[in-house]
Amino acid sequence: MELGIDVRKVNSCSVIDVKGEIDVYTAPKLREQLIELVSEGSYDIVVNLEGVDFLDSTGLGVLVGALKRVKAHDGSLSLVCTQDKILKIFKITGLTKVFPIHASVEEATVSPQ
Amino acid sequence: VVDPPAPTVALEVPARPEYVAVVRLALASLGRLAGLDEATVEDLKIAVSEATTSAVLINQAAGGADPVSIAWARGDGQVVIEISDRGQGEEAAEVDEGELTGVRAGISVALLESIVDGCEVVPRPDGPGSCTRLFIDHP
Repeated sequence: MELGIDVRKVNSCSVIDVKGEIDVYTAPKLREQLIELVSEGSYDIVVNLEGVDFLDSTGLGVLVGALKRVKAHDGSLSLVCTQDKILKIFKITGLTKVFPIHASVEEATVSPQ
Repeated sequence: VVDPPAPTVALEVPARPEYVAVVRLALASLGRLAGLDEATVEDLKIAVSEATTSAVLINQAAGGADPVSIAWARGDGQVVIEISDRGQGEEAAEVDEGELTGVRAGISVALLESIVDGCEVVPRPDGPGSCTRLFIDHP
């Protein structure tokens, strides 16, 4: 099972489109991509979760780790997600208060927070 | 404490990250076969993924030779899933040292406890290790 990761630039943001299931096996790939972006100087990052079928605490841990990294550079990390099953995981864990969550990439890249 | 019903499906997988998806998909299939609705199957997948990931990390910290054991049973109005590791009780601290798993640990417990109808961790009856029991109501 592979995790699909594509990176593109929209306005001043780096958008990562993620496809597949994020768990303990695939999460390191996302983590490496996020670290690479920050090390290249991208501090406003949008992670698009619309193509993600599954996410557990390992994936949440990676996103929290990336948030800490961009915050250290006064940056931002926002998410794009409209799927109820994925949103539910952010709600249960209280992370909806930590990550700005948008309904589309367009919305997320207009106003990075 | 009432003993859970005898397992009807048993599965053993190597303690490696790539097998967490195998367990998740197998148990989701069993859930659908048992007639659980899709929302409950999604919850089951998360709970199974959390418990199996923890068991894989604990077994790896303990040397990695022992497989992770999974048992599935349908009891009286509920589904019972048992996920067992072979930890000696000292691995948890070691597991939490890495960045990838450090943040995960706290989130995992919160997620697991709120997504199933019941959850308990008991010592393995057959020697060292812990068994995480997940209960999902299925009237």
